Amino acid sequence: MQTKDEILEQIKASLGELFELDPARITLAARLNEDLEIDSIDAVDLLDGLRRQTGKKVSAEDFRSVRTVGDLVEAIYKLVQA
Amino acid sequence: MERRQTYFWRVFATGVCFTLFGVGGLILGVLVFPILLLLPGDPERRRARMRGLVQRALRLFVRVMRGVRVISYEFRGSERLGRAGQLIIANHPTLVDVVFIVAFTPAPCCVVKAAMFQNPFTRGVVRAAGYISNSPTDEMIHGAVAALHAGDSLVMFPEGTRTRPGQPLQFARGTASIAVHAADVLTPVYVRCEPLLLPKFVPWYRVPPRRPHYIFEVGDDIDLAAYRRLQTPKASRLLNDWLSGHFAARLGATGVYNANSVD
Repeated sequence: MQTKDEILEQIKASLGELFELDPARITLAARLNEDLEIDSIDAVDLLDGLRRQTGKKVSAEDFRSVRTVGDLVEAIYKLVQA
Repeated sequence: MERRQTYFWRVFATGVCFTLFGVGGLILGVLVFPILLLLPGDPERRRARMRGLVQRALRLFVRVMRGVRVISYEFRGSERLGRAGQLIIANHPTLVDVVFIVAFTPAPCCVVKAAMFQNPFTRGVVRAAGYISNSPTDEMIHGAVAALHAGDSLVMFPEGTRTRPGQPLQFARGTASIAVHAADVLTPVYVRCEPLLLPKFVPWYRVPPRRPHYIFEVGDDIDLAAYRRLQTPKASRLLNDWLSGHFAARLGATGVYNANSVD
């Protein structure tokens, strides 16, 4: 079972690689859209990646309210718990 | 005086064309498609038949529009439309651009405004033909990728809505993302209409002072190899920027065709 810290590290690694972001910018409070310039089109790719990685049914509905990296950690945590 | 007469004729004929489009859509959606559904064949065959029928109906419709002298048009290079896995992208200056492009592409799939799935005059057709709604975004992208992977040719308008007159072209990134993910071929169609017929924010009866002339020009395929070597987010951003610039350059700064038009 993954802890929230591990999930955050994984998010940092994959966002850093995909979007060429400095990992230091990827904090729990960072807003995906405004601060990291990740938009709804990217979100589609990210959720597809998550489906492949976790092998779980990932519904876009569960991620609609995600605004910050912290929200994303929570949403993924819930997903892997389920 | 004669100018005045032709003007009022065009207002009248434009109204007739709108009516014809609506009634035609209703008849296809409510009467013809349900009958086609009863014919034998697997779902894919049936959908292909419907798309073929939509194409022929729209080809007839553009001929009627030309016949009643509401518009004139040229379509250059249509023989290069309709290849398997081909993503066809066009700018969107007027209401009926999609009508022409579908009319000149063999049985394409198409991304259309979500409202067309609600509108009683169009919903029968867009459902039966298996067209893709432009909203929500994730379903549009998955639908478009699936259609291209299945070997359909797919028509999209990257602006997402009609061009705002006088403003620079603005492409939404979804189309570029779909191209990078799934297009075997990416082909641009440059749409020009002078004077503009039915641009955004203009009611249908305000027809322009002269008969509009359309030019549809199929451009060279766009090479995606360089983009495919990059991570998707970066690739789709670069491609989107390139496409916006490319279309703007081909159409002129305002996106409006300026050569002497025919009437």
